[in-house]
Amino acid sequence: MANTRVESWTELSPEPSWWAQWKLRDWAWFAGLSIAAGIILGLYGSSFGYWQFVVLGAWYSALLVAGLAWRPVQLASIGIVLPALLAVWLYSIGQTTTNDILLRDVLQGYAAVMWMSALLLAATACYLFYLFTGREWVGQWATALTWAGVIMGFIGLGVRWRETYLGHPDWGHIPVSNLWEVLVLFCASTPLFYLYYEKRNEARALGAFVMPLVAAGVGFLLWLTFAQHMDQIEPLIPALQSFWMKLHVPMMFVGYANFTIASLIGVGYLLTERSRRRGSGLLLRVMPSSEVMDDVMYKAIALGFLFFTVATILGAVWAAKAWGGFWSWDPKETWALIVWLNYAGYLHARVVKGWRGSAMAWWSFMSLWVVSFCFLGVNMFLSGLHSYGKL
Amino acid sequence: MQAHVDGLAWQQPRWRLLVQFLGSMRLAVSLLVLLAIASVIGTILSQQQPYQNYAMQFGPFWFSVYRELGLYNVYRTLWYTAIVAFLVLSTATCVTRNSPRMLREMREFPIRQRDTVILGQDHWVRMATALPMAQAQERILQVLRAAGYKPRVEQKDGDMAIAARKGRYHRLGYFLTHIAIVVICAAALYNADVPVKWAEWQGTLKPEQNFDLPLSKIPRTAWMSQNNPAYRGIITLPEGQTANAVFELAGNGYLVQPLPFRIHLQSFHISYYSTGMPKDFTSRVVLFSPQGKVLKTGNVRVNHPMSYDGVYIYQSSFSDGGSLLHMKTYLLGASGAAPGELSGRVGQTLHAGHSGYAVDLKNFNLYNIVPKAAVGEKATPDHPTLNLGPSFTYIIHNPNGQAAEFKTYMTPMRRGGQGFFVQGYREALGDAYRYIYIPTGPNGGIGLFMDYLAALQSAARTGANASQAIFTETFQQVVARHAPGMSTTEQSRFLQASMQTLVQLHDYPMPFILSLSSFDHRWAAGLQVTKWPGTIVIYWGCVALVLGIFILFYIPQKRIWLRLRPQGQESEGVELLLGASADRNRLDFTKEFKRWTGTLEQALGVDHAEYKEQKDGQHTR
Repeated sequence: MANTRVESWTELSPEPSWWAQWKLRDWAWFAGLSIAAGIILGLYGSSFGYWQFVVLGAWYSALLVAGLAWRPVQLASIGIVLPALLAVWLYSIGQTTTNDILLRDVLQGYAAVMWMSALLLAATACYLFYLFTGREWVGQWATALTWAGVIMGFIGLGVRWRETYLGHPDWGHIPVSNLWEVLVLFCASTPLFYLYYEKRNEARALGAFVMPLVAAGVGFLLWLTFAQHMDQIEPLIPALQSFWMKLHVPMMFVGYANFTIASLIGVGYLLTERSRRRGSGLLLRVMPSSEVMDDVMYKAIALGFLFFTVATILGAVWAAKAWGGFWSWDPKETWALIVWLNYAGYLHARVVKGWRGSAMAWWSFMSLWVVSFCFLGVNMFLSGLHSYGKL
Repeated sequence: MQAHVDGLAWQQPRWRLLVQFLGSMRLAVSLLVLLAIASVIGTILSQQQPYQNYAMQFGPFWFSVYRELGLYNVYRTLWYTAIVAFLVLSTATCVTRNSPRMLREMREFPIRQRDTVILGQDHWVRMATALPMAQAQERILQVLRAAGYKPRVEQKDGDMAIAARKGRYHRLGYFLTHIAIVVICAAALYNADVPVKWAEWQGTLKPEQNFDLPLSKIPRTAWMSQNNPAYRGIITLPEGQTANAVFELAGNGYLVQPLPFRIHLQSFHISYYSTGMPKDFTSRVVLFSPQGKVLKTGNVRVNHPMSYDGVYIYQSSFSDGGSLLHMKTYLLGASGAAPGELSGRVGQTLHAGHSGYAVDLKNFNLYNIVPKAAVGEKATPDHPTLNLGPSFTYIIHNPNGQAAEFKTYMTPMRRGGQGFFVQGYREALGDAYRYIYIPTGPNGGIGLFMDYLAALQSAARTGANASQAIFTETFQQVVARHAPGMSTTEQSRFLQASMQTLVQLHDYPMPFILSLSSFDHRWAAGLQVTKWPGTIVIYWGCVALVLGIFILFYIPQKRIWLRLRPQGQESEGVELLLGASADRNRLDFTKEFKRWTGTLEQALGVDHAEYKEQKDGQHTR
């Protein structure tokens, strides 16, 4: 008996080599990305500066790695890029939002963002419904709707990027230049990262904690749209006309998205622990184990911290170019430093001191206020060099 | 890093206690938190404002308290710098203290470990197999290799030790991040011109407080050395002028930094978007050597500084550089008199004849695309802005010492077919402007209205009632005299507009109105000049920081130790003790551990394995 098991073990190959794990779709992904990069180089390579090559290379490798590490990225990227290119093409053949119904109602930057808002609100409702009922199909709908919302959000941003050039070529800029645009970025990227953690940990119930904040972000976005009319495309002030904006702002939002997710998982952790102490409650039924939540919290903060650090450094390099100093102690910069110090403290406490559990969940949750103040509060209440994000 | 508590601390020499304190985690975290809190202050209180503003805001007592605490420039105070310095010292101590151990760990990896060490790992498993030693060893190595490890073997006295690790350079992340922080802070302190601060503190350097002195009159005690390693100063240069020094704000005054070259501003240019928003600010600059040789010529734009020999020049602001303005003065209600002429440069004070009135020309703006709401107009989504042409701002002092500020636009605004001359005024600096709109005549000037006003007043003096008939009749006379070509529609529009203007003029604070007839514009560019030799060090520090964070998070160190011992005389089989730990991502490692120990059990044909009991009562598998 024992012997047969000894002989058969070799067939259970324990860890197939990395290459062996590549499926056909991965090869297709690799090939597609390479072709796309080749086309971009062929079309625009001659006008590229040194940094454009670096950025193209960074996008290429980031998408490649992300697509391999988390396969849904592959389809999602295609689902974003193809419709966005379609819209760009429609614009290029002279279609406009008045004579083309597809552009008017779906693909136009503004319309896509409205779709994103609706889809994310619906997804939030599904996640909450899932939390309370535990019905699997509702959860699947929640995930699917979130994906759809994320895709529409990024289509919206991509098409809007093109739209900034329409009619006034000298206005063109990446759509992360005012509060409305970065809020779209926030609403699209937070669920994206959340979906990754959900899939990785098979922890769908977390969405009921993460998505309500995204929904609040969507609500704020809609308010800015309908009450403040901030969705208008405007040209860039001279200080923002920099290549660095393309790097600094999106990376910041990788940080913000992950910090936000970590904070809300902290809330989930605390509430689940509370029901555990009371020995009852629906949270115990659907929520993942506290170990998993603790781990996701840490990983989100770690990833956010890495990107936040890079983004802050890029911001400092940009400031050195635009304002003549790395660090001007502008309120936004100072609050970024406070956020950074806060999470540096968190990481030291967790990794070096080995702290776990409720204390860290509280820390993570309270950090949400620091992060929100850095993101929104500074622009609303304090004035400084970053005032263009003002309401 | 965590302090290693070596038991009886009081037996140790004092310096060692000090080192222990400095390198302790508690101090580091406290300093991080303290720094974060201290940083908040400077964001709530706007920094480096003129002292009068603070005095007005806080009153004399709190003003001086806050000034003593340095709250008006928090990040440059001694105490703030001291916190940063302490953090740097603490980090440096921590690195120094941990280095030998970590370097040793990185270099050496003992294959043979005591059982107690193996049992002290996060995970361990004990199992027995019937396979003989050689075969068991073979299979263990296979399993570990399949899991991506490179196991090493050491045999001694019949028992066997196997060990493997991944992420050997994990600790490098610690070094990179912490050394980077020290380096960045040190370079930043260097850039914050510590030598100057020192000289200021010593009293050899004294900031000058009089901002109106010409460069040549500024006392030598306010001049910094030409060899100053790092500086950051501002100069406002009118077009066509040259400077060889910049100013650095210090407390309530400023210091002068001489430059190794002379900066000449050839021209300054603003380009605009179609919305009227500025699109670019460009200064055309020539650098001369002190001997007058041209060193460099080029444009300085926002986001595109000019560099010369380690010194960078940035486009930082712009203002009027003394434009020449030609104005007309209309006395309100003076009949028949032709408007007076007045000319002067922005920045000058003009005296209006012998009237005792003085006009300070404050500013000139070439281009005014204003939101309609700003001049009391209703904005429409398609046309939210209005082009009001050039404008100038001035303060009029009357002989009694009262003053009011005015802002006058050159181009009339059109509303309902009628042109209006727009002028804002306010009697206190903090107030919002109030606007008067004066209808313009067929020639686009306000002469017609002024005549009408004068005619009305002389009519009033001769005893006429303020009746509709008088207003109309007087108007007909004025039109016949000055603008006979006006159509009836124009006349009625003008008359209607005049009625409103007459009401607005009730509150108008001065007895005359200035209008701009022509100008000769001259810009001044605010250039920032910096020299920061520490920059390259900061860049490398940042690279190290990011690389270090990446290594710390994503290249965890995983270590595995195994011990194989023969079971005893009656059996060929071996007993196995395996311990493993990861110092990051422990949850992932738990899964990984489960996976390959499961395979190991099968490979060795183990029936029973004893796993480490986890704290929460769950087995690792």
